[in-house]
Amino acid sequence: MFSKPSNKITLVDAAALALVIAAISFFVSRMGSVLAYEWDWGAIPRYFFFRDPETGALVPNILVRGFFTTVKLSLWATVLAFVLGTATGIMGARGDGFQRFVSRTYVEVVRNIPSLVLLIIFYYFVSSRFLDVLELDVWLRGQSAGVQKTVSLLMAEPGRFNAFLSAVAALGLYEGAYICEIVRGGILGLPGGQWEAAYSVGLSGPQTFRLVILPQAFRKVAFPLAGQFISTIKDSAIVSVISIQELTFQGMEVMAATFLTFEVWVTVTLLYFILTFPLSMSINYLDKKFSPRG
Amino acid sequence: MKKLLLVCIALMLAAGTAFAGQTGAALSQESIIEKIQKQGVLRVGMSTFVPWAMKDKQGRLIGFEIDVAKKLAADMGVTVEFVPTAWSGIIPALLTGKFDVIIGGMGITPERNLKVNFTIPYEYSGMSMVAHRKKAAGFSRIEDFNKKEVAIAVRMGTTAEQAARKYMPNASFKLFENESQALQELNLGRVHAVVSSAPMPAFHALKFSKKLFVPLKDNFTREPIGFALRKGDYDALNYFNNWILINHESGFLKEREDYWFKTRDWESLVQ
Repeated sequence: MFSKPSNKITLVDAAALALVIAAISFFVSRMGSVLAYEWDWGAIPRYFFFRDPETGALVPNILVRGFFTTVKLSLWATVLAFVLGTATGIMGARGDGFQRFVSRTYVEVVRNIPSLVLLIIFYYFVSSRFLDVLELDVWLRGQSAGVQKTVSLLMAEPGRFNAFLSAVAALGLYEGAYICEIVRGGILGLPGGQWEAAYSVGLSGPQTFRLVILPQAFRKVAFPLAGQFISTIKDSAIVSVISIQELTFQGMEVMAATFLTFEVWVTVTLLYFILTFPLSMSINYLDKKFSPRG
Repeated sequence: MKKLLLVCIALMLAAGTAFAGQTGAALSQESIIEKIQKQGVLRVGMSTFVPWAMKDKQGRLIGFEIDVAKKLAADMGVTVEFVPTAWSGIIPALLTGKFDVIIGGMGITPERNLKVNFTIPYEYSGMSMVAHRKKAAGFSRIEDFNKKEVAIAVRMGTTAEQAARKYMPNASFKLFENESQALQELNLGRVHAVVSSAPMPAFHALKFSKKLFVPLKDNFTREPIGFALRKGDYDALNYFNNWILINHESGFLKEREDYWFKTRDWESLVQ
């Protein structure tokens, strides 16, 4: 019933390709003639790197710094989302009534609030009520230069520390809800025979879960999880509204200073693509190589 | 089960309000002047706005406001830390303590003054306009723009928005988060004009002189610009007021204003 898809280019493919090329060239020509947009790419490269006038060294500028802030932000948010999502996912699949209720509430609340609203609640309410009281930024300012440098390399410098944490928390909470569903689905998706088999060789309930169910469930959901990481990178663009100096924010800063709207957005788009496309490709590759075929 | 949940929620709410009360009290009890001195950092909220504050080629902040904040910090013997913030969220960010003071070209208005305290003005600004040559051909008075079919782009939540609505109540408005988005809309010919603080409209018209022009000879408003700080901190208000007074007298503010608003010597720093 399922034949192997062929690699031959059909007439339909060729027509579709031609249509795409026509659309792109139409867009470019419209930009040139009708909108009379004067492209000016000359100003963009120096926002990646510039030469220090004193030392002559090449120094990363705001776009590169923003790029790495996006990477850091996405990594920490994913770590948090993974922990939160796994815990609530297990609760949702295996917990008692109360735990299932908590897990369900978490998923439904987060999934039904726009991420932007969640983020703003975190930045203005949660952060100022709870995070600022801890005075982590004050503590960090009091640390040695070495500690400060390490922390800013891994997370953010003291002045941006609280904002960074609230962004990580909001993003992590948001992505965690999706991971919760992925993990829960992975556990519930395992055939009941696995439990029975484990019982019959004498494993206890928790042992079965830890040694038999969880490893299989994770193997099953590894690729959706990786996909969620890519989503986190893309979703991280919204934290620009709370002054986190990530890629989108820095792009807008460059735009506000140079008024090169299209050039900056094209550059920012490419940077996100550079970040997510290889990830997406490697996930596809790993998926093909390792996923169990039925 | 339900009871337990209710108790949990009640406890959380109680803790929340207690915290809110505490931080609110703490913020107003201790003057930010003392806090700034203790921490050695003056945190300034601002928003990118040519030529008040903008990123130069090296990604550093430059501009009139930046010079003012740097001198202020130097006079207090502390370092300055800028917190670039989206304009529409800048007052909530101040109120929730994300930074100590807004030095961001903020016009003093009665509405804003109900939320924050303002210092005496350290600068005056006025609204001006840049228009599209084709769309707004022949427009030269403010009445020409005050028509139903005229579309005007402004930055959301600014005094430019207020002024434009007041002087051109019949026009339709498009609101943007950033100045550059509003100008892009104008460059694309989707709106007739952009209203913004001088001298940006004139600079922009100069840059795209083939497409854009300045329809009004003079600014149509004059606005005092002050630092904004959280309410109730009279100690800080007194300090900042006197700092501004001294720097008006010493000529520092005038000299910086001439450099950023009357010349374009700084242009090579940006592009």
